[in-house]
Amino acid sequence: MASVVLSEAEKLYIVHGVQEDLRIDGRGCEDYRCAEVETDVVSNTSGSARVKLGHTDILVGVKAEMGTPKLEKPDEGYLEFFVDCSANATPEFEGRGGEELGTEIANTLYRVFSSESSIDLKSICINPREHCWVLYVDVLLLECGGNLFDAISIAVKAALFNTRIPKVRVLEDEEGSKEIELSDDPYDCIRLNVDDVPCIVTLSKIGYRHVVDATLQEEACSLASLLISVTSKGAITSMKKMGKGSLDPESIFEMMETGKRVGKSLHIALQKILDEEESLGTSRQKVGFLG
Amino acid sequence: MPLDHRRVRGPEESQPPEVWAAAGGAGEVPEEEDAAPRDPCALRPLFARAGLLSQAEGSAYVELGGGTKVLCAAWGPREAAEPGAAAAAAGGGRLLCEFRRAPFAGRGARLRPGSAAEREAEREAAAALREALEPAVRLARYPRARLAVSALLLQDGGSALAAAISAAALALADAGVEMYDLAVGCALCRPPGPAAAWMLQPGEAEERRAAARLTVALLPALNQVSAVLGGGQGSPPDAWAQALRLGLDGCHRLYPVLRQSLLRAARRRDAAAATTA
Repeated sequence: MASVVLSEAEKLYIVHGVQEDLRIDGRGCEDYRCAEVETDVVSNTSGSARVKLGHTDILVGVKAEMGTPKLEKPDEGYLEFFVDCSANATPEFEGRGGEELGTEIANTLYRVFSSESSIDLKSICINPREHCWVLYVDVLLLECGGNLFDAISIAVKAALFNTRIPKVRVLEDEEGSKEIELSDDPYDCIRLNVDDVPCIVTLSKIGYRHVVDATLQEEACSLASLLISVTSKGAITSMKKMGKGSLDPESIFEMMETGKRVGKSLHIALQKILDEEESLGTSRQKVGFLG
Repeated sequence: MPLDHRRVRGPEESQPPEVWAAAGGAGEVPEEEDAAPRDPCALRPLFARAGLLSQAEGSAYVELGGGTKVLCAAWGPREAAEPGAAAAAAGGGRLLCEFRRAPFAGRGARLRPGSAAEREAEREAAAALREALEPAVRLARYPRARLAVSALLLQDGGSALAAAISAAALALADAGVEMYDLAVGCALCRPPGPAAAWMLQPGEAEERRAAARLTVALLPALNQVSAVLGGGQGSPPDAWAQALRLGLDGCHRLYPVLRQSLLRAARRRDAAAATTA
């Protein structure tokens, strides 16, 4: 992963600051950086979103394609995640350098979405055992400025909210052969219910305390962090320890409580922004990459 | 792995019959047999033996009651292959972990060795293994060196990753690598249903049906958690905290067994050295 090299004195400065609930950019331990979210930024996708969280910049595109349902779940569609670490973010990602991080993030996303309640997969099945929608979620890392996982999960949720899947009908004639008919109206489409899509909250242990939304500098001071995915109702759907260090059991319990609290307010803020953007309709001026 | 072309290989695409049996409604019957309520705190019997491979510097074999069998080998400090990468690791050594599933390890159809899905799953398990072991090993004592651990899952009877963590820690200790503590892994799962309680060390069938799964690893002497990996149906933090407590308690109870096996391996080695001397 992208990282910065810090001297011992710099690290000490950050650790002591965190102890006093004052971080290098003036935030408290449970504050997020200012996030920018814009949906519908790439017109060739079914849904897309771009999230900028401090210096972390993520672009997510969702493409819906028709496929066959998985054998174990014949009446459900499914999601596929791909994470591309662009060499624009850091030169370490050049060639195959970003592959390891990419698969790690993709695996984490699979685990976060493994819960049946996170997204209604039955609604994207067209006819059982034969056709379903496959949502290809492609994540592009444009810039890494710490706290990748949280930013990616916000972007994925926003992109899924923005996703519009065309409505199709299955017609069956007398001989039993099936035909798929696409609706003529381009605005006749299914939307996904993203109310229960979880967001990831990463809590990095620095000194005796933990912080949310760590910057690159703070990540360099943290030996271990806990990644928690929280739904808007405050339920935890997955967790994972990351990093070289280990954690005290008591601090894990504290982190889970903080994660739930912070995650809930994150969901409220995100949903508000998404609804607001939605209400502007087509009159909205798109900022895109010129903002 | 090279393919043996003399063997008759199955068709390119094949499907396990269980999938279709379950759809017919008749497949569920044998699975319901083991649905009898069991004590959620009960641990499955664990058998551990260290130092059984003669070629590796350290090795361990862990078997769980339900049929999970893991064989682990540790290859002690070697010079790092790429000096650039070793220098970047702040002077400390590097721990390389590998996790392999035998082609016949799982239930149902044999997975093609080297298939993309298989590789992904193995790589993820290897990363989890490394994160669980790194806090236990004194890597700062091995500058510019690499330590390699490889775990081979012979049979998957549930709780495979947890067994692999315990076996790998045992193999490293058996190799004489300096460690702070052994890492002990323990798996849990929660069956579907609103009032279902978390169960320790689920079997393969329980794990497959579970609504949520969790694997924890603990360094018992230091009381530090070195791995937490889990997911599934959402539940409030209290429920997860309770599960975590149950899992850590399970780790504490498994610890003496692992220590005993390590002691026994050391005694065996002493005896062997005495007879050859």
